Amino acid sequence: MWPVAERRGSVPFAPGDQVWTSRTDPPHHTRLPRYARGATGTVVELQGSHPLPDDRARGLRAEPEPVYAVRFAARDLFGEGDHTVTVDLWHSYLRASPAAGAGTEEQEAR
Amino acid sequence: MSRINDVGGMEGFGPLQREADEPAFHADWEAHVFALNRALVGRGVYNLDEFRDAIERMNVDEYLAASYYERWLHAITTLLAEKGVLTDQELAGLDVAGG
Repeated sequence: MWPVAERRGSVPFAPGDQVWTSRTDPPHHTRLPRYARGATGTVVELQGSHPLPDDRARGLRAEPEPVYAVRFAARDLFGEGDHTVTVDLWHSYLRASPAAGAGTEEQEAR
Repeated sequence: MSRINDVGGMEGFGPLQREADEPAFHADWEAHVFALNRALVGRGVYNLDEFRDAIERMNVDEYLAASYYERWLHAITTLLAEKGVLTDQELAGLDVAGG
């Protein structure tokens, strides 16, 4: 997930928004799988609001936050494939995507 | 650090073994473990995220060798010890402790 300071005050995403997932590899439970980190996807729909598992698993207070179905091109995650992969992701894992070109450079640089 | 459970996109595990008319439980103890977990979460002894976390904290070799409900039992035992529900003496009497 993105650092707490960067999560604070961020506005909810809407279907169609381009989002960028955190690249952080946290030392605790998380629902952002490794294969979907540092990737750009598209919000498909809101899946309700739920407390962040990362915090709840550590006994920390966690307020409900939006959870979205986010769709990725399999090629962006695995380097191949013509299908898409849709993952339910908490708001704290996401940021508004940087300009499309910049996002592509980031991924290619990995 | 990514944990051993996070294997999405990893190859080499072989094909999925599909079982015809697979029963919900393959042994009575599995049903007991399932019920025990529901009761403990229902009573607020721990939450589902703590439960998943406890599974993911298993030693890699134990995790890979364990069946689905063996992992559940391991996590339940871990959490009951950490929450102080089971005493050291009670844990010592369990042959499931630590594995």
